[in-house]
Amino acid sequence: MDFELSQDHKLLLDTLREFVEHEVKPIARRIDEEHQIPDALVAKMADLGLLGSYLPDAFGGAGMDFLSYILVVEEVSKACASSGVLISAHTSLCCGPILSFGTQEQQERWLPDLVSGRSIGCFLLTEPDAGSDAGSIKTSYRREGDEFVITGSKIFITNGGYRGTGIVFATSDKTLKHKGISAFIVDLAAPGVTVLRNEEKMGIRGSYTTAFALDQVRVPAANLLGREGEGFRIAMDTLNGGRIGIAAQALGIAEGAFERALGYSKERKQFGVPICDNQAIQFKLADMHARIEAARLVTYRAAWLKESGKNYTLDSALCKMLASEAATYVTKEAIQIHGGYGFICDYEVERMYRDAKITEIYEGTNEVQRVVISKLLLADH
Amino acid sequence: MKILVCIKQVPDMESRFKPDSAGVWYSDTDLAFRMNEYDEYAVEQAVQLKEQLGGEPEVVVLSVGPDRVVEALKKALAMGCDRAVQVQDPAAHLKDPWQIASAIAAYAKGENFNLIFTGLQSQDRGSAQVGVTLAEILGIASVTTIVGFEYADGSVTVRRELEGGLKARVQLKTPALVTCQLGLNVPRYPTLPNIMKAKKKEILTLPVGELLHEEARSVTASFYAPPKKSGGIVLEGDVAVQVDQLLDILRDKTTVLR
Repeated sequence: MDFELSQDHKLLLDTLREFVEHEVKPIARRIDEEHQIPDALVAKMADLGLLGSYLPDAFGGAGMDFLSYILVVEEVSKACASSGVLISAHTSLCCGPILSFGTQEQQERWLPDLVSGRSIGCFLLTEPDAGSDAGSIKTSYRREGDEFVITGSKIFITNGGYRGTGIVFATSDKTLKHKGISAFIVDLAAPGVTVLRNEEKMGIRGSYTTAFALDQVRVPAANLLGREGEGFRIAMDTLNGGRIGIAAQALGIAEGAFERALGYSKERKQFGVPICDNQAIQFKLADMHARIEAARLVTYRAAWLKESGKNYTLDSALCKMLASEAATYVTKEAIQIHGGYGFICDYEVERMYRDAKITEIYEGTNEVQRVVISKLLLADH
Repeated sequence: MKILVCIKQVPDMESRFKPDSAGVWYSDTDLAFRMNEYDEYAVEQAVQLKEQLGGEPEVVVLSVGPDRVVEALKKALAMGCDRAVQVQDPAAHLKDPWQIASAIAAYAKGENFNLIFTGLQSQDRGSAQVGVTLAEILGIASVTTIVGFEYADGSVTVRRELEGGLKARVQLKTPALVTCQLGLNVPRYPTLPNIMKAKKKEILTLPVGELLHEEARSVTASFYAPPKKSGGIVLEGDVAVQVDQLLDILRDKTTVLR
């Protein structure tokens, strides 16, 4: 057993840390305030290869392993959770299923534009009445000659505002429930696709969360991903991997807040001593660190299991749950350590606290993760 | 054209340093290492020259040190160097600049490099001797502290940084060695695809014993943290006196009033 990162992973980390320090950290607050990640930053992330870390080099990707992708999301999220989820949703939820379920033609047609950032990817599953119960989606499709025609509405779509490439889930017959669902690769700039709004949110405010109306959107038959009726399986498999990305995002948020709290506790003096000389603060730091390290180990192990082709369903649910709960806990304590200053925007931990909350909710609420975990534990019951 | 870039791996300078058991250098346990900052400018300039010349020059990157220096070499390869040489020496920290330069020179002699780039100095030892000593042993021209670099038709023109904000232009014929200073360029980030491509590039390992037959000419006798400073200067007396005292201090000890 070896817990040491490889030399190549260390070189990647070194690059990521430099990039994040110079290009992301200085503008993270502005990204939150202006509710937008500058296009220039998206372009820089694409140029560095952050939008295609584990995709094969045949499609312009870096051809790295899944853990490398996790390190990318984690490091970027330490400074800016909005940028972290842009990468995570784009990579795990859009490039991922095209790579896993797409034909050679589909991969060649879509992946180079995604990897280079010419098109930002998203995943259109959630609907107003279909969140955790994804099998109950109402967006419908019918076949007309060489085309599929899709109609319905989708909400809470991360990266939707870019109108790039979407994996759209729709049903041919709602009474078939999850067996009627198919997945399509859709150009979100196509006629019939309307952005209804980009939501105002508590956190990750630089990330688009978009509501779409799909009105008779005509999609070439060649854009069907996998076979008809396979959509629900594609969605669940995709989210299974995506959760590890969200765990990495949550881990990054927690680490970012912890670094600031640790630093502040050494600088801030009260009663003539740094506040870290107080056991009340020391215990907080110990608890925060413990949660982060536990979450990190499970997250890296989930990434390793996925990379090794082993079953990772249990670990992806575990790491998403542990890391997101570490993130909300650690960011809350980071504010407490900062005292009144923590409540002030200048100190940035308040943003991290707001950013952390969504990680307990999206890509499967933590309640759903507990369902997944307990079902697997009780599989033979 | 053949280009050599000499790099060193140094600890993150924000680390907390403790003397090693012999008390002659820092202990490297628990330290995170990275490429010496000035050497990044050297790598970047070499790669820019390669690009300027349509990819023709071969850029070799070299580092002396224990096996961990391969990390820094890999970074240089990912930035665009063609192949790497590790002069393997677990005790490089005990060698003086003369020995390091001699070992590099022993390798470089057979390779006939047209241009050698080094950092101005290392961030940890800071002797600023290895580059110029290497040039001297090889019998080639050298110029230090460059903040600008141009190459055309076998001739190098550099801008040097002088004291007091002054600059100088220096021309020299190859073969030559330059030492690179902050401000020369902005080193690129190695892209993820290039990190992967670097894995296929050659890293040659040469034991230092095969290259180095020189004795040290200087030794570091001890390594220690200076005594902690007392709590600063407290000015007393009425305001006019304090202002005069402050002005005197600023004039004598700082550059703000010059």
